[in-house]
Parts: sequence; C-alpha cells; structure tokens
Amino acid sequence: MDSAAASAIPRGQVDLVDFVDWSGVECLNQSTSHSLTNALKQGYRDDVGLHLESDADEQLLIYIPFTQVIKLHSVVIKGPEEEGPKTVKLFTNKEHMGFSNVSDFPSSDSIALSPDNLKGKPVNLKYVKFQNVRSLTIFIEDNQGGNDVSKVQKIVLYGTTDWPTKL
Amino acid sequence: MVLEATMICIDNSEWMRNGDYSPTRFQAQADAVNLICGAKTQSNPENTVGVLTMAGKGVRVLVTPTSDLGKILACMHGLEIGGEMNLTAGIQVAQLALKHRQNKKQQQRIIVFAGSPIKYDKKTLEAIGRKLKKNSVSLDIVDFGESDDGKPEKLEALLAAVNNNDSSHIVHVPPGPNALSDVLISTPVFTGDGDGGSGFAAAAAAAAAGGLSGFDFGVDPNIDPELALALRVSMEEERARQEAAAKKAAEDAAKQEKGGEQASSSHDATMAEPNSSSVPAVDDKRHNLTDDEAALLEQALAMSMDDPKSTNVAVADTDMSEATADDHELALALQMSVQDNAKDSPTQSEMSKVLEDQSFVSSILNSLPGVDPNDPSVKDLLASLQGQSESQQKQNEDKQENEEDK
Repeated sequence: MDSAAASAIPRGQVDLVDFVDWSGVECLNQSTSHSLTNALKQGYRDDVGLHLESDADEQLLIYIPFTQVIKLHSVVIKGPEEEGPKTVKLFTNKEHMGFSNVSDFPSSDSIALSPDNLKGKPVNLKYVKFQNVRSLTIFIEDNQGGNDVSKVQKIVLYGTTDWPTKL
Repeated sequence: MVLEATMICIDNSEWMRNGDYSPTRFQAQADAVNLICGAKTQSNPENTVGVLTMAGKGVRVLVTPTSDLGKILACMHGLEIGGEMNLTAGIQVAQLALKHRQNKKQQQRIIVFAGSPIKYDKKTLEAIGRKLKKNSVSLDIVDFGESDDGKPEKLEALLAAVNNNDSSHIVHVPPGPNALSDVLISTPVFTGDGDGGSGFAAAAAAAAAGGLSGFDFGVDPNIDPELALALRVSMEEERARQEAAAKKAAEDAAKQEKGGEQASSSHDATMAEPNSSSVPAVDDKRHNLTDDEAALLEQALAMSMDDPKSTNVAVADTDMSEATADDHELALALQMSVQDNAKDSPTQSEMSKVLEDQSFVSSILNSLPGVDPNDPSVKDLLASLQGQSESQQKQNEDKQENEEDK
C-alpha cells in the first residue's frame, strides 16, 4: 500500500512543502500536543507516532500561506481509518477564516476522502480553480467514524510554481 | 509582551449597587477596568482593548478594541446601572468584536466581570467555552459580588471548557476591605501568562493613581521645598506614632503572621476616614517612594553612624511637629493621609519586598552605635519589626538624612 502511495508523485508536480511560509501557518481547534507541524513538516509527517489532532470538536481549520504563487494539482491526506477526515473543503486566497465563515462563500473544491485516500492515494483537484494560489485554507468538516476527534497523519500538497514563467 | 486584543465585559446590572466592595461594586469594577486597560496598553503598545456592558437594555459595545487609553477611560463615564446581566450574549458579542479586530495577528482575549448571579446552566456555559476554545479565544473571569446558586462551580466549568494550555484564568474576589483592583493586580489577569507582570502592574497602579502631578501631597518640591519637606516629615512622625501604638496591641496576637494582615487588622480599628480618590493617589506615590528610599537608606544609615546627630534630629523632629501643629487643617489632612496610607500599604502587592527590607533594616539599626536609643521614634520603630513601621524607619532615616542635608 505504502509503495503505491510513495511513488505516486504526479508527473511534473513537486512537493510544495518547500514553498510553505511557516511563519504564517495557523490551525484552529488543534490540540496543543498534536499540532499541525506533525502533519505538515517534512520528517514529522512521516513519523507514524506524530499526528494532528482536533481539540474541542471534530472540525479543523488549517491555513497555509505560501512564499510564492503556486498552482495546486493534488493533495494527499493520510489518517487513521476511523478518525481520519471525511469531508474536506479547500479555499484559496482567503486570509484568517474562522469556523463561522466557512459557509459564507463556496469552496474552491470539496473532496470526500475514501479509505484509500487515507492510506495515501492522492486526490486530484479541480486544477483550474487552483491556478493562482497564495494561500490555502483546508477545512476538515468531519471524520470517517463521526468521532469527536479528528486525526490527520500527513498532509502533502503537490503542484507547480510559477517560477519559470514569472520574472 | 504578548500581542493581544482584549474585550472587557462589564457587569452593570442592579446587583452592582451593593456597597460590599468600596465604594460600590460598580465603582470598584470601573477602577479595576481602568487598571487593566492601562496594564494591557503598557505591556505592548500595539495591544488593543475594548469594552462592552452586559446589562442594561442589552449588550452594548462601548468602544471597539483600540489602543487609545483615553477613549477607553472616557467611555467609562456616565455608565448607568440597571437591568440584568446577560453573560452568554456578552461573551458572544465580545467574540464577534474580537473577530473583526484590525490586526489579525493579535491574540484574542475576553475578560468578564461576573458580579451578579448567573442564570444559565453549566451546559450552556460549557458550550460557549468550547466555542471560544475552538476559535482560540482566551477567557479571564473575575468572580465577585454575588456568590450563590453554584456560581463558582459554573464559572469553573466555563473556565475548564475554555482553558487551553493555561491561557485562561479565573479569580474569585470575596468582599472585603481590599479594593477589587488591588486584589487583581497580583493575579494572572494582570500579569498575563508569566511575563514579568508586576512591572506593568506597578506602572499601571502609578498611572491610574497619577492624577496628581506625580509629587507628594500635590506640592511641587521645586516650587516650595520647605513646605513639601515639612509635610513629609510630619506625616512620617504621625505614622510612626500611630503604627507603634497599633503594633503593640496586635503584636502578641499575630507575631508569626505576615505583617500585612496584622497591620490591616489593627488598622481597621483606627480607620476613621473613608478613602477619597486623591488619598489613594498620594498613598501609591508614597509607597513608590519607599522603594526608592531603600537605596537612600544605606547612605542615611552610614551618615547616622558617623555623627551623633540623632539628638539633633530628635530636636528637629519636635520643631517640625510644632510647625505643623499650628496649622490644624494641614495636620488633619496629614492624619487622614497617614491612616489611609497605613491601611493601604499592607494591601499593596509590594508588601513582601518591604518585609525583606525590614529585616535587613532592623538588623542594621540594631548594630548602629550612632543611633540614639532614647530617640522616641527610633525606639518605637525598633519595637515593631513588621508592617509599615519598617517603611517608616526608612522614611525616618531619610528624614534624618534630609535634616543633615539642610
């Protein structure tokens, strides 16, 4: 299972973790001992013992700004079977969203994760909607088992940058 | 120095008319609010504070989060008491006000003054607490005034629901002679999460009390140095006498206790005058002076050792007393100040610092050959080792030094 996931870097895409602006990364409703870096940062995200966990309820709101404009192609979200995320909404270029305004405007893409995805199969996004992304907001609405706590093992973003074209 | 946006929720319900906190619950609350605003804006200039009232016709935002202290203080005027407090609505409106803060980098904090009974059940409060935690809003609760119907438990439950990593706090303030603001100064509400709060608190206390020009008695030593000196010396004399009398009475009962409690209990009896707004201002100034004088104390003691001037000082002391005795109004004003100061000082948070200095001072004084043991003021001071008599010793020494300077 893992080998399929590991070799599944889409052709022509790069892992965007290098372009994440870590000073602006925020996560609402995360548990203090299990924070976003466990799922996002290289090294941490591959450690099975470290994961991102929600706190007061099962929703999570993750805000990831980038150091430059990128195009997002696909994402990989890994998590445990029961507590892994199910409905995930993505918003582009919206700063400082809160749980109260996730329903104020339509998401750029909404994905329902299957157990395969949770094992590492990438989810292809509506590429046209993610052409000019400065920041990404990931809203995890609920989890597979309907539990009170959502857990995320790993989040990987695949895409390209504009670098060759922008001067 | 945490960058923070704070919303303060004031209880202006009918229960605030009660006078079990002096002068009224509402006034004590207002003083506390002023102090908090000062402390927050001082700790980080980019901090913003907003105020809203929870009772009256409904929740009303008086000022949205701003760093302009004047605006905040101005809006505290002319507030009317009435109605019932709506805690849940107040917190929700505060949360909304914070959400729309201008600087999104600021952390969100709500400070709630809960003085009236809480009619909501635990579940509702916990739900609100969870919502606050979800949006990473910290909550400080000041539980004062009415305490019934399981109010402390409800508030503790609310705090437990909100608390994330000890960023939220609750303070229960029982009614008593201590001002609400004084009690709050030493709590995490003021001191934040462990970043050197006492500096801000002291500065805030000075700022709040600094309606005067910043000098003792409102008299500018530059303009009228003799008058200022005379006033100060007489106050010290008066205080030494009063302190000695009170201390002897209370000494047997509570030798082991902290000087602060002892002094305040003894001074409850001697307290005749109500606290006026100007007097606490003077008292705060005096107490700040005390700390400065600790440094001067060394000099004074050295000089006392060198010359047998204590006898001259004793004579000078009487001269001073006579001078002020002529002016009855002045003496009366000083009396008031002395009593109030005697009451205020032990309740200051810097009591522990004074205590340390006291033991140091007493040991030094005992070893001084030059100090005249027959000097009545020195004798009185030596008799009582705790409480303000120590601070008075310092002031007496300082007075001696001033006398020598003259």
